[in-house]
Amino acid sequence: MLSWLKFGQRLRDRYLPIGFRIDSRSWECAWVRVEHNISFKLNGKATTVKCPPAYTLLEVLRDQLQVTGPKEDCAKGECGACTVIMNGLPVCSCLVLVSQAEDSEIITSEGLVRDGRLNAVQEAFIDHGAVQCGHCIPGMIVSASALLMRKRRPTRQEIQSALSGNLCRCTGYTKIIAAVEDAAKKMRP
Amino acid sequence: MRSEIEVFSPSTLEEALTLLQQHQKDIRIVAGGSDIIVQLRDGAIKTEKLLNILPVKNLRFIEEKNGRVRIGSLSTYGDIVRSQHTRKHAWILVEAAKQIGAAQLQNTATIGGNLGNASPAGDSLPPLYALGAMVVTRSTSGRREIPIERFFVGYRKTALNSDELIEEISFEGLTRNDAGAYLKLGLREANAISIVDVAVALRGKRRNSYSDVKVALGAVAPTIVRAHSCEQALVGRRLTEKILKEAAELASQDASPITDIRGSAEYRRKVVSSLVFQAVHKAVFANRGRER
Repeated sequence: MLSWLKFGQRLRDRYLPIGFRIDSRSWECAWVRVEHNISFKLNGKATTVKCPPAYTLLEVLRDQLQVTGPKEDCAKGECGACTVIMNGLPVCSCLVLVSQAEDSEIITSEGLVRDGRLNAVQEAFIDHGAVQCGHCIPGMIVSASALLMRKRRPTRQEIQSALSGNLCRCTGYTKIIAAVEDAAKKMRP
Repeated sequence: MRSEIEVFSPSTLEEALTLLQQHQKDIRIVAGGSDIIVQLRDGAIKTEKLLNILPVKNLRFIEEKNGRVRIGSLSTYGDIVRSQHTRKHAWILVEAAKQIGAAQLQNTATIGGNLGNASPAGDSLPPLYALGAMVVTRSTSGRREIPIERFFVGYRKTALNSDELIEEISFEGLTRNDAGAYLKLGLREANAISIVDVAVALRGKRRNSYSDVKVALGAVAPTIVRAHSCEQALVGRRLTEKILKEAAELASQDASPITDIRGSAEYRRKVVSSLVFQAVHKAVFANRGRER
């Protein structure tokens, strides 16, 4: 029994015992993991980070992993500047606890670049001059790329809807939407 | 301090319930996180422990059997929008889910979280009132089924005990003969908190009338409220535009709105009637309000 307690203490930073069940022939101990080391796949690379588990994914990406594509603006899920692709779907990384990203696959705007080449959406943003101050652009590009991963031929309305959670205060939406339409055309085989 | 908060991430319901039972005094449940993370950062919530139930298996499902729809509490709005069961049997809920936040939020926010957060402006709640949903809760000591109207007991207050979590929500799905619609008034189309939202479900069709009418109003009282006087004016009546108008006028009596940054009480009281009129009209006359 004593050794069990010691064992529990040694592992305390990652596991906590949550209950014992003892009968005449056997005993069992239920453990639960308390996360401090968090692992996920970031832009195709397996990544493990030691961080406070109640920090947001965005804080860890920017401050600990120096991945600064996603930006923090509103920190409330209203502006979309922190958008990342998590398991294939766009999410606000400011509204995801880093513990909730365990074992997931995360793609940021940096991860959309393949072998030093920008993806079709990134190219189209440059071609169309869709960037003014640039602050919202990584989020826009991630949202648009997530849409094009799921839908090859989105309508204009679908593009607008997919980008409706991304705010641009330079009000450059027209060129942004034109760039996404163009990228969709170029991506078609 | 957020850096000192401990996060438990159980992977089974049993583990989650055991943890909840042991730490019930000072633990908060996190599902999708979209409400609670903001509240933690604002300092509106102080806690030392979080129970991250997102990895819990078997809480994310949408099923339909013999007309009854069951939705696991960890189902996201995106799941609800994409599921054929909800699209077919709960289009009023789908319509609400589509208008919540934007794509990013719909991919993380869960229906169980919306119930647990208990905001009077929670957009999935009026459709669930109109559908007459049951909330199924679990704790180590058992399972409870609570009608949604008794689940919410006051402003941001639920009937949930501190050792309980929401397991699923279930309701009798709408059928081809039923009518239903959901309408939301926000300051813009995406990422807007409702000024007023309305869900209606009319069942038991006989010629041009319905024997079961539920009209639920959001963001006009401390909790979601049913517009009982409006419902009574519709039940069993032959629905004409005139009758709809008269009934919709009554809905403002069922509301007790307040003034806040999104709108004044008077405005809400006025607009709730016209929104009810439009919703019932859409449900009954415009191809049963069903999605394209």
